[in-house]
Amino acid sequence: MLLVLLPNLLVIGASFMTRDPSDFLSLPLTLDNYRRLMDPLYLQVFLHSLYMAAVTTVLCLLIGYPFAWALARVDKRWQTLLMFLLIVPFWTNSLVRTYAVKLLLASNGLINSALQSLGITEAPITMLYTEGAVIVGLVYLLLPFMILPLYAVFEDLRRELLLASHDLGAGRLATFFHVVLPLTLPGVIAGVLLVLLPAMGMFYVADVLGGAKNLLVGNVIKNQFLDARDWPFGAAASVLLTLAMAVLLLAHRLSRRRLGEEGET
Amino acid sequence: MKKVALAAMLAAALAGCSKQEEQVLNLYNWSEYMPQTVLDQFTEETGIKVVYTTYDSNEAMYARLKLLDESSQYDLAVPSTYYVNKMRNEGLLAPIDRSKLSGFDNIDSTLVNLDIDPGNQYSVPYLWGTTGIAVNGDAIDPATVTSWADLWKPEYQGRIMMMNDVREVFHVGLRVLGYSANSTNPEEIEAAYSKLAELMPGVRTFNSDAPRMPYLEGETDIGMIWNGEAVMGAEDLPALTYIYPQEGAIVWFDSFVIPKNAKNVEAAHKFIDFMLRPEIAAEISTDIGYATPNLPARELLDEEVKADRAVYPAAEDMVNAEVQEDVGEALLVYEKFWEMLKAGQ
Amino acid sequence: MKTWLPRTYLFLVYALLYLPIAVLVVYSFNDSRTAYRWGGWSLRWYEALFSNHAMVQAMWNSLWLALAAATVSTLIGALTALALQRYRFRGKKALRGMLFVVMMSPEIVLAISLLALFLLIGLQLGFISLLLAHVTFCLPFVVITVAARLNGLDQRLLEAARDLGAGEFTTMRTILVPVMMPALLAGWLLGFTLSLDDVVVSTFVSGPSYEILPLRIYSMVRVGLKPEVNALGSLLLVFSLIMLVISQLILMRSKR
Repeated sequence: MLLVLLPNLLVIGASFMTRDPSDFLSLPLTLDNYRRLMDPLYLQVFLHSLYMAAVTTVLCLLIGYPFAWALARVDKRWQTLLMFLLIVPFWTNSLVRTYAVKLLLASNGLINSALQSLGITEAPITMLYTEGAVIVGLVYLLLPFMILPLYAVFEDLRRELLLASHDLGAGRLATFFHVVLPLTLPGVIAGVLLVLLPAMGMFYVADVLGGAKNLLVGNVIKNQFLDARDWPFGAAASVLLTLAMAVLLLAHRLSRRRLGEEGET
Repeated sequence: MKKVALAAMLAAALAGCSKQEEQVLNLYNWSEYMPQTVLDQFTEETGIKVVYTTYDSNEAMYARLKLLDESSQYDLAVPSTYYVNKMRNEGLLAPIDRSKLSGFDNIDSTLVNLDIDPGNQYSVPYLWGTTGIAVNGDAIDPATVTSWADLWKPEYQGRIMMMNDVREVFHVGLRVLGYSANSTNPEEIEAAYSKLAELMPGVRTFNSDAPRMPYLEGETDIGMIWNGEAVMGAEDLPALTYIYPQEGAIVWFDSFVIPKNAKNVEAAHKFIDFMLRPEIAAEISTDIGYATPNLPARELLDEEVKADRAVYPAAEDMVNAEVQEDVGEALLVYEKFWEMLKAGQ
Repeated sequence: MKTWLPRTYLFLVYALLYLPIAVLVVYSFNDSRTAYRWGGWSLRWYEALFSNHAMVQAMWNSLWLALAAATVSTLIGALTALALQRYRFRGKKALRGMLFVVMMSPEIVLAISLLALFLLIGLQLGFISLLLAHVTFCLPFVVITVAARLNGLDQRLLEAARDLGAGEFTTMRTILVPVMMPALLAGWLLGFTLSLDDVVVSTFVSGPSYEILPLRIYSMVRVGLKPEVNALGSLLLVFSLIMLVISQLILMRSKR
């Protein structure tokens, strides 16, 4: 636990210090770093990152939820195999796979070549270096992080429960909303966390597939730490990012608690 | 459980370490930036084993060497142009003993004794190159493009490729306005920012990893490129042409330096000396595709390569060319405007 | 019940997941240096790969590290999740918050602060520092996955066990571990994948004595998808698939 705690403290500490041209950090404690973050520039960057991450998460959920369900219903003997099959492509370096996606999407890439040789399109469709390409890449890289926790909860969902619900006269939709969804909610939340949070930081996907045209939070922090060597400012950005996410999570938890209470009474 | 596992690992790791008694040179270099055959030959001749570890950006290399400082595990590193300058100024480097290098005079006299390291007390050039304009001849007539300012022409908008690097992009902005690319004057930097902001909507992509790729992908037709990448790209896209812009190309090189607390300084000198041999330098240049500063080595290269102006520029190509220097604290001003450019403000 | 619909869906998603990988495999046999031109079939990149000893060594190092990091973080992670779930203790909220912070903090921040920490305690950079760092960033993923599973666990099961006289250890062995198994497996897989893929943190906490694969691959790929890397990826894929088939065969036979 020490390993987890100490770096955090270091970062928080650093965020109040002053930049030093030769030693990275120096004393007078200051709030300047946080003041600089209030610049609308950074708010815009943050909102844009959040938007991209949110779209990715929703898509992962839409694809991953039915997938995990279907996976959990397959004959037990095959499940472990299928799970490994899911993860094996991910043992190839993610950057390599990002470049493979690029091979598919480029103007001279495979999809466009296929479309053109089949006579479906005349000129290449522009797909690479767009927001769409970034989202495709993020979904592709993060899908298993949604599926695995979902699978873990679906595996537990007993079929008798569904049959019972059915026998009691509940329609498919009703069964889904009153039985399946509540029981799998912990998995959904876990999956959303595992996708949303990393999606905010995967700047290289935005660089490779999005043409580095959009600045994401991850880029800003990396630039500040490495290129500008302004550690205190980078640390402050990182602390603020964490706080913002914590507030979002808390808001979610509160709203859920309120809903839950209403449901029970 | 945690402790037992850790103790076991520790024991295993220690057992692994004690085996290495032979002489070792720890080389910290860009990845794939030196052929294995050359390293093997060095080991064969001297008995010194070379451990080749890699980094992917100057910034990461610098941050690590700086943090490790006291306990430095590296005997040799290969920073780019202005990082030599910076590390030298901050006292991170050990001086190089010229008396131990027999081949230093092989190096092109126009590439030594520059402002980044006067007298080359701390660095020895390894490979060098320029950043200029690339044009896909299938889409644009290369003869019509002569300067950085041509990028602003309306017909090219949406098909432009820029480096993903603050200093290189601002080099273009500053030179187009007639300023030095190493300007530390905030007003000049801001003017360059305004000029570049006009160009931003027309930029299709930024790429500093493999700048030839967007041209090969068919996504861009004109923009910035490194000369070595242009040569490599022409193998697959023969129409890809390299042009030295009138306002001046960017000149950069990667140099050997010895970190201040290096353990095996002796081996480091031997290695640099080995690298200065013409036949070794020629072999490296052929394999890696960038120009060698080693004049006798240049004579050993294929005629075709020697005559390629993209790799070995003629004097008139370099008229306004500028070497990147450390801009000190002005870097923060650059960073700020860079973030604004990227965020589209 | 109809089974073709979910099966078709499964198949479709798998197909999409494997499409980019298939592209890699095909291009690993491409004679040309760049992927945008087909230069005919060739094995030259496989030859190049095998003559590159440093690369092969780095691959073994990486596999070991990922194995160790995934296992250690699964063990610690499962215990943490259990503690968070079952006991009330001071600092519980803080602990949970801390795990999120690790997930949230951009890799570069974690990388630099870990390096600073290792330098502070005088740890030699190498296998140990890499392992500690990898366990640190894998941990939250395991905890979240396992906790999701435990949340769905019927508490009465544990009470029943206790009522029937089962001690802490027996409860653990007969109920908790089997119940957690799918999540443990999922968590371990996530950890293994993350560790095998990490570049940023590893760049900072690795030393010259122990080089790992992603660091080597990373900058090779950046200069434009080297076919050698495709060859390596293909080999790794084929190797994993063969291992999978073998273990599945063993499993099926033992069950019969």
